Amino acid sequence: MFRFQSLDDDCTLEEEDDGLIEEEDEIDQFNDDTFGAGAIDDDWQEEHKRLAELDERDGLGAGRGLGGGDSSPGPASAAGRLPLLGFSSGPPGQDADERSGGGDLAESLARFILDADPAIAGVGAAERQPASIPPKHQLPPGPPASGLPASSVLSYQQQQHLLRRGAAPMGQMNSHSIWDNSMGFGPVSVTPGLVTHMEDSPLMSIIKEVGLPKRPPQGRSDEGHDLSERAPPPRSSSPVIGSPPVRAVPIGTPPKHLLSLNHQHHPTAVHVRAPVQHRFPAPFPERLSPNTLLNLANSPLCRGPFPPRVGPVLSQLQRAQLLNSQVAGFPRGGPGPPLLAGGGFRPFFGGPPPPHGHRMGPLPPHGPPNHTPPIRHNTTHLHPQHRRMLTQRMQSRGGDRVRTGLDRRSRDPYSNLMSQKEKEWVTKIQMMQLQSTDPYLDDYYYQNYYEKMEKRQEKERDSSSRKEHTTKLITPQVAKVEHTYRPVQFAGSLGKLTVSSVNNPRKMIDAVVTTRSDDEEKREKQVWNKRRQVLYTVEKMYSLLLEVQDFEKRFVQTPEEDRDALMEQHKSNTEQLSNSRMDESWGLRVSDEQCVMIMSVRKGKRLVARLLPFLPAAQAAAVVMVIARNLPALAKKDKQDQALCCLVEPVSAVIQSLSSSALTDLLQELQGGEGQLAAALQNKFGVTLLFLILSEGERMQSSDPNCQLMDDNRWTELVFSVTRELLGVPSSSLAPPLFTPPNLLSLFSRYVDRQRLELLQDKLQISASSR
Amino acid sequence: MNYVPGTASLIDDIDKKHLVLLRDGRTLIGYLRSIDQFANLVFHQTVERIHVGKKFGDIPRGIFIVRGENVVLLGEMDVDKPCDTILQQVSIEEILEEQRLQQQAKQETEKVKMQVLKDRGLSIPKADNLDEY
Repeated sequence: MFRFQSLDDDCTLEEEDDGLIEEEDEIDQFNDDTFGAGAIDDDWQEEHKRLAELDERDGLGAGRGLGGGDSSPGPASAAGRLPLLGFSSGPPGQDADERSGGGDLAESLARFILDADPAIAGVGAAERQPASIPPKHQLPPGPPASGLPASSVLSYQQQQHLLRRGAAPMGQMNSHSIWDNSMGFGPVSVTPGLVTHMEDSPLMSIIKEVGLPKRPPQGRSDEGHDLSERAPPPRSSSPVIGSPPVRAVPIGTPPKHLLSLNHQHHPTAVHVRAPVQHRFPAPFPERLSPNTLLNLANSPLCRGPFPPRVGPVLSQLQRAQLLNSQVAGFPRGGPGPPLLAGGGFRPFFGGPPPPHGHRMGPLPPHGPPNHTPPIRHNTTHLHPQHRRMLTQRMQSRGGDRVRTGLDRRSRDPYSNLMSQKEKEWVTKIQMMQLQSTDPYLDDYYYQNYYEKMEKRQEKERDSSSRKEHTTKLITPQVAKVEHTYRPVQFAGSLGKLTVSSVNNPRKMIDAVVTTRSDDEEKREKQVWNKRRQVLYTVEKMYSLLLEVQDFEKRFVQTPEEDRDALMEQHKSNTEQLSNSRMDESWGLRVSDEQCVMIMSVRKGKRLVARLLPFLPAAQAAAVVMVIARNLPALAKKDKQDQALCCLVEPVSAVIQSLSSSALTDLLQELQGGEGQLAAALQNKFGVTLLFLILSEGERMQSSDPNCQLMDDNRWTELVFSVTRELLGVPSSSLAPPLFTPPNLLSLFSRYVDRQRLELLQDKLQISASSR
Repeated sequence: MNYVPGTASLIDDIDKKHLVLLRDGRTLIGYLRSIDQFANLVFHQTVERIHVGKKFGDIPRGIFIVRGENVVLLGEMDVDKPCDTILQQVSIEEILEEQRLQQQAKQETEKVKMQVLKDRGLSIPKADNLDEY
């Protein structure tokens, strides 16, 4: 973590020191190593010079010796050079490389590229093997002469061959390489073949080239240091504000191995620490992992990949012993080399259970660690039925597994590579996925299945105690925690923080959420719903209407047979239409409302206009009544659309078909409330309607002498009031009608005196000439 | 034993010999050493087994890490059961040769088919991105 002092000086976050931020003050690792306690300030140049001199001395010989590449110098000298080459640092190796010439490099490179698959390459190589036995040792040295791009050309077969020959030059190895090694490496109880294999491994070459990652300087105590414990360098995140605490290990790494006593000499990779020898005196070959040993010894190809018998044969204890023997020191003539000599494996393992028999004691617990104590699993998340079934199943199976598990696991040295903690970690993750806030949503079928089973069982065991089976499942409900992110804010500060990390991205927009109260929302919703309803109705009716209108056309076109069907359809359509207008049988008020609503929609007006001709007379009259009654409201709503006028024609048609009493009623409706007429007059349609009515009345009167229009005084009165109104209304507010029926003049002349008639005339511009 | 009874978990399969079929058609056999939450698998002493007709060949591969999404199926193998009752194991070269011949034959039939289709004016595009083998 960063020390705040080490941040930029112009970082103006002074408030943090007041304790608003609560992360720990960890030491910056990089800083520390460069300038702090971790830094070693010895002179690297001196060091390099020293080492270079050292290597040159040996390297020269090696370079010359291996200059021929695949040609064979004496095996001893070659062997003698091998470990040196292997342990030499990068640059000297390169020097040797250059010295031996580019040709070898190219060759080995070519081989490396071509033989991409070491296993298959080995197949081809194996055929070449028997031919060249003396250069056996040179074949491996060939690549390492070029050092760096060495590929593990050795296949398992080759390794096996090497191993078989391992015993022979062993003595030479021991005498030459190890003790002569001025590097002071510890005893190598390993064949040269193995060593060269070490060198060949790509890992090794990479290590040589790149150098190992830095190790904390802990000397020998870190032998058992687990690689997985090493933390990656601390994330260079932005300052801590709002950031999650920087984890030493990234999220998602499995838990560390907790090393037990047995795993002291943990099977780590082979390390080469040549250049910085003085710091890490850890000897090279003693860290041989049993992996590599066993790879060679138990090469799958030598007896088939998975022999039906037991697996690789070293037990854990034996493996530990093996390593012990390596560490402790070379001169153990007995158990050391024979362990590894080619043929030595089988007799060793075939043989002595007795010497180790007594040591098998600690083993059985390794074998079936899961069996012996009955494990109480956490089954709370399961359905009780499920749980019961599982326990039954487990009990029945508990017995058979014991023996076989013991056998197998005791002989597999690689077992338990995944530690208990890691298993638990994976299990924990899997369990977390099972937690659910809504089990019915997440695992519907599981829940239902067990419910059904329970019910079924209940039915079956009717007689027995019910209480036992009606256990309810209580799944652990995880509370739905709202993880709303609130950006870090400082009280009393102007503006917002500009630092951002993965957890607090910059808030770009300051959007304010307006919450409306429930009532308002409800009302709004209602309004919207109604409107939607109306629109929907309009649409439906329109489509019906269109069908009806098209009926004529279709009728003509279809042949005789279908005409009946079409008639039927037509009838039903029209019925529907009319029904939809009068769906409330009680009171016209309701349909009134509906009408009005429909009419308030532009399309609705057109709909009505088109619909009127198709409606039966009574309904049409009713509609017109409604229009008249609600004219002011409609007029107001129509201000924008101006679509009322489309109604004129159909309405006039209706009016002309009206009876006198109906007409009177209509006029009355029009006059309805106070000021209604005035308002109606302001609207074009209203005026037109009025004129229509009046003209119709006049026509009735004039045409049919004994019409009932004059029977009651209503008509007369109404006309009087109309006249009054017309006279009273200022001309400016009088809307010009769509057309002026010609007989209005005669109408008015009947009722009003001349003076007024003239006034009216002027106002309404009814001229005698406009006929 | 399963840590979480009632669930499916690979924990029980650790350190056992498994056969896994990958999406690209490879068959791997190995000891399952480690898993993680994505069902990425770590195989030890892996052997790739190539089947051609009744013959098969094993290529030792060492340690494999298989990304979980590429697994088609995974099953435990019975170590005691012999695996070559009907099948006949051959050497690697032979099986590779057989495989090559098989691929060749397949390609040829494919070519003929395409040609026939082309003659009739049809073309079925090759699905290149699918997992097929």
